[in-house]
Amino acid sequence: MNENIFEVKGLVKEFQGGVKALNNVDAEVRKGEVLFIVGPSGSGKSTFLRCLNLLETPTSGHIFFKGTDVTDKKNNINKFRQQVGMVFQHFNLFPNLTIHKNITLAPVKTGRLTAKEASDKADMLLKRIGLFDKRDSYPSQLSGGQKQRIAIIRALAMNPDVLLFDEPTSALDPEMVGEVLSLMKELAREGMTMAVVTHEIGFAAEVADRIFFMDHGQIVISGTPDEVIRNPDNPRAKEFFSKVL
Amino acid sequence: MKRFSCFIFLLSALLLCSCGKSDKPKLTMVTEATFPPYEFRTGDKVDGIDPAIIRHIADTLGYELKIQDMSFDSVITAVQSGKADVAASGITVTEDRKKQINFTVPYVTAQQVVIVKDNSPIHTTEDLKKYTIGVQHGTTGDLFVTKNIKEPQRFANGALAVTALVSGKLDAVVIDGEPAQVYLSQQTGLRLLPRPLTSEEYAFAISKKNVKLLEDFNRVLNEMKANGLLDSIIRKYKEQNTETAADLLVEDSKYFWIGVKEAFELNFIKDKRYLYLWRGFLVTLYISFFAVLMGLVIGFVVALIRSTAIQTGRYKIPDFFCRMYLTVIRGTPVVVQLLIIYFVIFGSWDIDKVLVAVIAFGINSGAYVAEIFRAGIMSIDKGQMEAGRSLGLSYFQTMREIVIPQAFKNVLPALGNEFIVLLKETSVSGYIALQDLTKGGDIIRSQTYDAFFPLIAVALIYLAVVIFLSSLMGKLEKRLKENE
Repeated sequence: MNENIFEVKGLVKEFQGGVKALNNVDAEVRKGEVLFIVGPSGSGKSTFLRCLNLLETPTSGHIFFKGTDVTDKKNNINKFRQQVGMVFQHFNLFPNLTIHKNITLAPVKTGRLTAKEASDKADMLLKRIGLFDKRDSYPSQLSGGQKQRIAIIRALAMNPDVLLFDEPTSALDPEMVGEVLSLMKELAREGMTMAVVTHEIGFAAEVADRIFFMDHGQIVISGTPDEVIRNPDNPRAKEFFSKVL
Repeated sequence: MKRFSCFIFLLSALLLCSCGKSDKPKLTMVTEATFPPYEFRTGDKVDGIDPAIIRHIADTLGYELKIQDMSFDSVITAVQSGKADVAASGITVTEDRKKQINFTVPYVTAQQVVIVKDNSPIHTTEDLKKYTIGVQHGTTGDLFVTKNIKEPQRFANGALAVTALVSGKLDAVVIDGEPAQVYLSQQTGLRLLPRPLTSEEYAFAISKKNVKLLEDFNRVLNEMKANGLLDSIIRKYKEQNTETAADLLVEDSKYFWIGVKEAFELNFIKDKRYLYLWRGFLVTLYISFFAVLMGLVIGFVVALIRSTAIQTGRYKIPDFFCRMYLTVIRGTPVVVQLLIIYFVIFGSWDIDKVLVAVIAFGINSGAYVAEIFRAGIMSIDKGQMEAGRSLGLSYFQTMREIVIPQAFKNVLPALGNEFIVLLKETSVSGYIALQDLTKGGDIIRSQTYDAFFPLIAVALIYLAVVIFLSSLMGKLEKRLKENE
């Protein structure tokens, strides 16, 4: 039980209008693993990820975070989310705040760090990704790759148990994809638990410990990159990967 | 925000306390002081036949007299609603009015007469039907003409109607006999029709609930009639009035022929008339400023409730009330709201009129500000809220730190526009007899019978304030833009 950060049981998400984005999904995210979720557009992979930190409210089913049922209404949703970082496709930096303030806002406001601790931590993280000189700039003055790296360390500043990535490179110009992927790779090497939704199949094959292939709201196959990408014994997966690789 | 609301609360408390401290009981008289010689303004005070008689009655009965100047349309309502004790504004006794209030014994018999231009083809009252007639809104002349002749053009006061006649906008003016004499002596090229249109009696109006006061008034009035005091007061003011009118006549004829400098002096310098504009300007600024603050507070709260309800489905019941508020306030004219707040909601309270105006315009502006804020909040990409929430911030933390600062910046131009609209809307304050900038211009107009200078001056002052405000908003916008 303690091995798993997330445990998902019978997860169903039905959007208004009756579209079933997730159809009875069972899965787990294990501590320290790098999990990639791939699949065709509309297969429910982003919805699955967004359900994990409850940005989407599941229609039914349960999600356990470190053994606690977070879909229970009595659970403190803000406390829970503080332990789960999220990186968005469109970065979603706060344009009204400096880079430094973008990083320190949440740790300070949620009481996870003091102002001084948060500031030191932000500076440390900024130095680590080589953007310390952008400390007092505003997001609009940054390139896409820089923005996404800031978004990643903004999530890291909360000291989360797991990081969720929702197509982190899809909105980037091709020449900026590399810098974001290499930062992610670095985090993976350090043992950060990560769940990544992506279209970068090659990257997934290289970095992933485990891969989910999703289609029509269900996890069709899961396993190591070898099992899922290179030699899938599932016709839909075979067809998909033959097209994208 | 909190500091604002405290400030407003303190201010209202101050205003409430400041009204009246005296051991003598108060008697409030209401009038529209644009009806010489019955009531008119000299400098800051209201004088005339009606104030003089009422002052004598108040002294005899042991009251402290307070005179309020308001529009004639409202004086009877003011007495009915208990805002005032007696209306004394050259009010003609009519059957309709008798249904609403009690009249004292009449103190004067007056006539409605017809003024036309010298060269007018109108010679008898029968001719009137074919021509454009001007009246003062709500007067007996208005009632009579509407009922028996035709739909007249209604003016806020007699002076304006005469001005319109002189400038050719009207063919005839139906007006009370006394002020008619005054206007005739001031303006050349006018004459009276030989036969008056009607003959009528003037009396003071007192609430039907206040029978004791009516008896007291009648007793003193009858005494005054018996000992000749009433006659001497009326005669004194009539004589005095023709004298000042003669003065004005000289000034006026000069004005028409000599030019701008004299006109300027007449309208603004003479009798320190610029003070009407200056004081009015201060009142306008005061009302606008506090109404804006109140509007901001209300608008902010309503917008927050509305957008939270829309985005999260919470606060269904407060949201319902907010929607009602928006519908009602945005669906009715601000003048009507102002009058309702003054006469209905605060009907029986002795509350400062400036405060009433601040409340009325504040509530009104709040509705518009709320929708501006809401549009701003909802224009912010929902990824901002998601990013905040995903970091573990609560809904309201994210609102406060992320969404609202961005929304505020986006709606600043629209907010600035709303402030400008509000500033200009306060020009209807005159309806509850507040002497704001517009009313200040009106008073000058009623004294000099000149429409051009007072109106242009008022317009220029509004314009100057608006230009100043716009540049201020522009600077603020620029400064906020820099932080991006």
